[in-house]
Amino acid sequence: MDLAARDDKIVLLFGDVSVYLFQEFKEKYPDRFYNIGICENTLITMAAGLSAQGFYPFVHSIAPFITERSYEQIKLDMCYNEFGGNIASCGASFDYAWDGATHHAYTDLAILRLLPHMEVIQPGSRKELDVLLRSQYNNGKTTYFRLSDHPHDIDVPVEFGKGVVLKDCESKLTVMTAGPLLGNVMEACGEIDVNLVYFHTLKPIDKKLIGKFANTKILVIHDALGLYEAICEVPHLSVSYHGLSDQFCSSYGTLKEIREALGLNPGSIKKVVLRQLAKS
Amino acid sequence: MNPVCRQIRKDILHLAKVSGHGHIPTCFSVVEMLYSIYSTIRHDPKNPSWENRDIFILSKGHASLAHYCILAECGYFKKEFLSTFGAFKSDFGCHADRFKVPGVEASTGSLGHGIGLSVGMALGIKIAKSDRRVYALIGDGEANEGSVWEAVLVAVNLGLNNLTILYDNNMSHAKGLQINHPAEHFRGFGCEVIEVNGHDVEALKREIIKKGNKLWVIVAHTKKGYGCRTLVENHYEWHRKSPNDHEYAKLMEEICEETI
Repeated sequence: MDLAARDDKIVLLFGDVSVYLFQEFKEKYPDRFYNIGICENTLITMAAGLSAQGFYPFVHSIAPFITERSYEQIKLDMCYNEFGGNIASCGASFDYAWDGATHHAYTDLAILRLLPHMEVIQPGSRKELDVLLRSQYNNGKTTYFRLSDHPHDIDVPVEFGKGVVLKDCESKLTVMTAGPLLGNVMEACGEIDVNLVYFHTLKPIDKKLIGKFANTKILVIHDALGLYEAICEVPHLSVSYHGLSDQFCSSYGTLKEIREALGLNPGSIKKVVLRQLAKS
Repeated sequence: MNPVCRQIRKDILHLAKVSGHGHIPTCFSVVEMLYSIYSTIRHDPKNPSWENRDIFILSKGHASLAHYCILAECGYFKKEFLSTFGAFKSDFGCHADRFKVPGVEASTGSLGHGIGLSVGMALGIKIAKSDRRVYALIGDGEANEGSVWEAVLVAVNLGLNNLTILYDNNMSHAKGLQINHPAEHFRGFGCEVIEVNGHDVEALKREIIKKGNKLWVIVAHTKKGYGCRTLVENHYEWHRKSPNDHEYAKLMEEICEETI
C-alpha cells in the first residue's frame, strides 16, 4: 500500500474481494482505487487499457477466476498488445480449501507461464512478495503474483528470476519446490541428505541453477502445476514429480487436510523423498 | 454516397481482389462510420502518438481492411503499402497489429475485447484529468459476447462520459443469437443512446461530436455490403470471399452506379 501511495501511476482494480483491506488507501486516493465488481474479463481488459494510458494497474481477485476465466484477456489484451500490468491473486492451490473444487486453482502458474511477455511469481513469504513486487511492478511486462495466506516462515534470499539453493550436500537426489509449500518440504527434508532448491520465480525459471544439478535425479514437489513443466524445459535432466494427480480434488476442510490427502504434508513428503533417494 | 466513401469501397474491393483476402461486406458496413470518426476526432496522422489525440478502437477487428484504407486516406501511410494486404511479410493483416500499423491503437481480432480496453483507456484519461475521448466501434454479432455487456455495465457504473460506442447494427447476427432492439438494451444498462442511419455521414458526424453526461452510444443502422446490391443480398456467401475477375467487374460497376 505504501508503494501505491508513493507512485501516482499505480491504479488498483478489485474484483469485489479484499476491498476492506484497502479502505485507508481508498479514502486517500479515490482516483486510483476501484472496486470494479465481479467481472474478471473486464478487470483484465481494463487493466490493459489503463496500461495503454501510462498507468501501472494492479488487478486483484480470486486465482481461478482471474486467471482461468480471463486467460484470453491476459493473453491478448495484456501480453500480445504489450499493455503490461500486475495481476495479484488470492486463494490459489487449496487456500480456499472448504470452498471446494470450483475455488481451487492449480493450473494458473502452468498456463500463464506459456504466454510471451509474462512473468510468473509465486512468493512463499511476505518478504518475497514485498521484494519482487517492488522490483517488477513497473517494468512494462505482465506480472502474475500468486499471493497466499499460508506463507512459509523461512527467510530466503530474494532476487527476481533467481532460484535459491537451500541445501547442497552433494546428494544424488535434488528436491525442487516453490512457494508456501517450502515450509512442509523443509520440515520433511531437514535431516535427509538431499539437495534442496527453491524458486519464487517460475517465469523466467533459473535454468542455469537447475543445470548445476543435472547430474542428480530431480524430484519436484509442488502443490500446483507449472514448476515441473518449467524445470523439464532444461535439457538432459532426470525429473519426477510429486504433487497433484489427474483428478479434481473434491474434498473440503482445511488446507492442511487437503495437503495430507495429496501426500504433501511433511510426513508423506519425507517418505517420498526417502523412497526416491533409495532408488537414486 | 459520399465520394470519399465510394472511393474507399473501391479500394477495399481492389485490395480484396488482388490479395485474395478480405471481409468485404463487413468492411462496407462501417465505411461511413470510420470516415465520420476520423473526420471528427482529434488526431495527427504525422504524429500518431500525439499525446492530446482522441483514441479510436476498432473492436470488430475483422473490418481492418476498411480501417487501413481510411488511415491511408488520412495520410498515416501511403495507400500503395496496402497492396501487400494479407501477405506473409506484410504489415497489414486481416486483423491489425498495433506495432505494425501507424494509427492502430490496439491489436484486436477476438471479439468482445475492444470495449473493455476502451473502458480502461477512458478511465485512465479521466484519472489524468484530460479532456481526450475514446471511441470504440463494435459489431452487433460481437455483442453476443458477454464481455461486451460486462464492460458497458462497468463504464456506466464508473460514469465514463468520455467514451463513445458506435454499434454497427448490420444484422450480421441474424442467423444466430439475435439482439432485436439494441438501443433498448443500451438504455437499459444506463447509457445515452441515439439511433442513426449508419451510411449518412453528416448524421454520424453530428452524433460523434456530441458529449453526453453518460456513456454515449450511437446505434448505427447499416447494411452489410452497403454499396453493392450483390453483397447486400448475399452477404453470408461473401463474408470471407475474394472476387474473381468477373465478380470484381460486376461489384465495381455496382459501386459506381450506386445500386443500393
